[in-house]
Amino acid sequence: MSLWPHELVKRRELIWILIQRNLKIRYKSSVLGVFWSLLGPLFLILIYSVFLGLIRVPIHLPTLVSGIIVWQFLAMCLGDSLQSILGNANLVTKASFPRVILPVSMVGANVVNFAFSFVVLLGYLLWAGTSFGVLWWLPAVVVSQIALCLGLTLIIGSVNVFFRDTEHVLSVVMLAWFFMSPVIYEPEMVMGSFPEWVHWLFFVNPMSGVLTGYRMALLGSDPVPPEMIGVSLAVCWLLLGIGLWVFRVSEPRFGDEL
Amino acid sequence: MSKTLPDDGVIVVDNMSKAFRLHRSGTRTVKSAVVDLVKRRGAGKNMFWALRDVSFSVGKGETLGIVGANGAGKSTLLSLLAGTKTPTKGSIRTQGTISSLLELGAGFHPDLTGRENVYLAGAIMGLSRKQMRERFDAIVEFAGMGEFIDQPVKHYSSGMYVRLGFAVSVEVDPDILLIDEVLAVGDDNFQKKCLAKIEAFRKLGKTMLIISHDLGTIQSISDRILFLDEGRVAGIGDPHETIGGYRALSRARQTQGHEREWGTGEARIDDVVFENGEGRATDTFASGGAVRCRIRYTARKRIEDPVFGFSLSQADTRLVFGSNTQVESVRIDAIEGKGELVLTLKELPVAAGNYLFSFSLHSSDHRENYHRLDYAFSITVLSEARFEGVCRIPCSWEI
Repeated sequence: MSLWPHELVKRRELIWILIQRNLKIRYKSSVLGVFWSLLGPLFLILIYSVFLGLIRVPIHLPTLVSGIIVWQFLAMCLGDSLQSILGNANLVTKASFPRVILPVSMVGANVVNFAFSFVVLLGYLLWAGTSFGVLWWLPAVVVSQIALCLGLTLIIGSVNVFFRDTEHVLSVVMLAWFFMSPVIYEPEMVMGSFPEWVHWLFFVNPMSGVLTGYRMALLGSDPVPPEMIGVSLAVCWLLLGIGLWVFRVSEPRFGDEL
Repeated sequence: MSKTLPDDGVIVVDNMSKAFRLHRSGTRTVKSAVVDLVKRRGAGKNMFWALRDVSFSVGKGETLGIVGANGAGKSTLLSLLAGTKTPTKGSIRTQGTISSLLELGAGFHPDLTGRENVYLAGAIMGLSRKQMRERFDAIVEFAGMGEFIDQPVKHYSSGMYVRLGFAVSVEVDPDILLIDEVLAVGDDNFQKKCLAKIEAFRKLGKTMLIISHDLGTIQSISDRILFLDEGRVAGIGDPHETIGGYRALSRARQTQGHEREWGTGEARIDDVVFENGEGRATDTFASGGAVRCRIRYTARKRIEDPVFGFSLSQADTRLVFGSNTQVESVRIDAIEGKGELVLTLKELPVAAGNYLFSFSLHSSDHRENYHRLDYAFSITVLSEARFEGVCRIPCSWEI
C-alpha cells in the first residue's frame, strides 16, 4: 500500500531531508564536503588521460570516461543499497513511515552525486570537442537507469536484511557484470564476431543499453538498432517492478528481523 | 475499514496475535535459510508468541496504562500500535497521527546536529518543514538544550538525548502518544516536567498509551489499565482494581512462595500504600530517599495496646531492618474499626534492587498475632551511587 507514488509525493519533505542526511553523512568531517562529488570525477578524468597517454593504450578516452562515470552511479547505488534498510534499523524499529522512502532517498542521494559527475563529464566532453548525437532520448536513458538502480536497491536492501551473505554475492556479481557491460569497451568491439542472437542477449543486460544510450547521445557513436536499446531499457523497468514486489513482500518483516 | 468492528475507538485491536520466529543463531545466512526451507520450517515449532488473542479498544482522549511483568508483551504491543511491527494474526486499526516514545531519541543519527535530527524526526512524523519551524523553539526550550542544539548529538549526554527525544515527540502534536517507560529515565526534575506535559496532553483530549513499572504513577494518570500477562490480556478496566490484580499476581510470583499471610484476624492490615518523599504513590524509590507507608487497618473488635511492626528484607528474604511501635516507644492506646497509620523511613540507604516489606499487627506481649503479612509488598530501589554491600554508610576519607 505504501509503495505507491502518491505516498512518495506526500512525503517528499522526508525524502528530501533523508537525501540531505545521506549526503551529509557521506561527507561528514571532510573539509571540502560535497565538492568531492565534483572533484572525484575530475581527478578520474585527469588520471586516466595522463596514464593512458603514457602507456599508449589505443582507446578513445571520452568513451572510457563516460562509461566509468555512468557505471559508477550504479556501483555506488548498489554499494549503498546493502545498508538502505539495515543502516536505518533504529528508524525502522522505532518509527512508522513508508519504508520505501529509505531506498528511494538513498538512490536520490546518489542521483545528486551523479548530477555533479555528469556536469563534470559534460564539461570535459565539450572541452574535448566531441560531437553530440541524438540528445533528445537522453532523459529516457537517465530515467531508466534510475529505475534500474532503484529496483536493484529495493531488492538488495530487503534481501540483505534476511541474508547477510548478500554483500559477498554482490561484490562477485558486480565484478562479472562490469566486464559483461560495455563500460571500458564499446559494443561493436565484441559484437562483430558473434551471431545476431548473441547481440540480443547482450542487450538483455540493462547496462548495455544504458551505456550505449549515453554514448550515442553524448559522443555521437555509431547507432545500435534502437530495438536492442529498447530491450535494455525495458529490463530496467522490469527490475524496478520486481524490486517493488520484493520490497512489498519483505517489508512487513523488517521490524522483526532488525 | 472492517464493518465487524465497533467504530467508537481511535485504537481498535481485534483478536490480534504476534509471533516471532526464533533463530538458532542471530543472523541468518543462505545456508541456514536453505536448511529452513528443506525442513519446511516446522511451522509453529520455532515460533514464540509474544502476544495472543489481544482485543481491546481505546476511546478518543483516553489514557490507557499498560502493566505487566517483563516479557509480558507490553513493548511489543506498543511497537505494533506504532506500526513498526506487523501483527501475525488479527488486526489493529488506528485513527490519527501517532507519536511514539518507544525509546527516546532512538531515531537520532549521531553525526547530525540536534537541529537536523529534530527536523528529521518531524518529517518522519509527517510534519512539514514550516510546521516544524513553528515548533522548533518550543522543542529546544522544553528540552533545555540552549546552544547544544547545533552540536552533533553524539556529543550529548544521555540526559540531553532523552530530553530532546521527549520534547520532539510531544511537540509534534500527535493525536495518539505512545509512551514506553519514559517515566523511568532522566532526573527528578525532568520527570516532573514529563508528568506535567502528559497531564497537559490529557487535558487537550489526546489519547495516550503508557507503559510503566511505576504502578503508583500509572494508576494516578490512567483512565483505564490494561494488564498483560504472558502475552494475553489478564485484565482491563478500573486502574485501582486492575493494578490490584496485577500486584496480587506479581506479589505471588516475586516473593516466590515466601509470602505468607496469617493471624487470628481479629484485626487486619487491609492495604499498605507506599509513597515517596514527595507524597507520590509509587513502588520505585531512590536509594537514600524517604519512604512513607500508609497502613490501613480494620479492627473487628476493640484491641487495647496493639503493636504494629514492619520489616524490610532483600528479595531472598534476608532481613535488612525491622522495627515496631513498641521498640520505638510509640504507644497506641487502642484500635477499633477502620483506621490508618503512617510509617516513615526518613531515608532508605540500601543498594539498588528489589526488596520485600512485611507488616505485622500483634499484641504487646506478642502472644496474639492478629494479622501478619510476610514478604507481601515488593518495592524497587534505584541507586546512582555505587558501593559494595547491602547499605550505604556515610563515610569520608582523609589523607
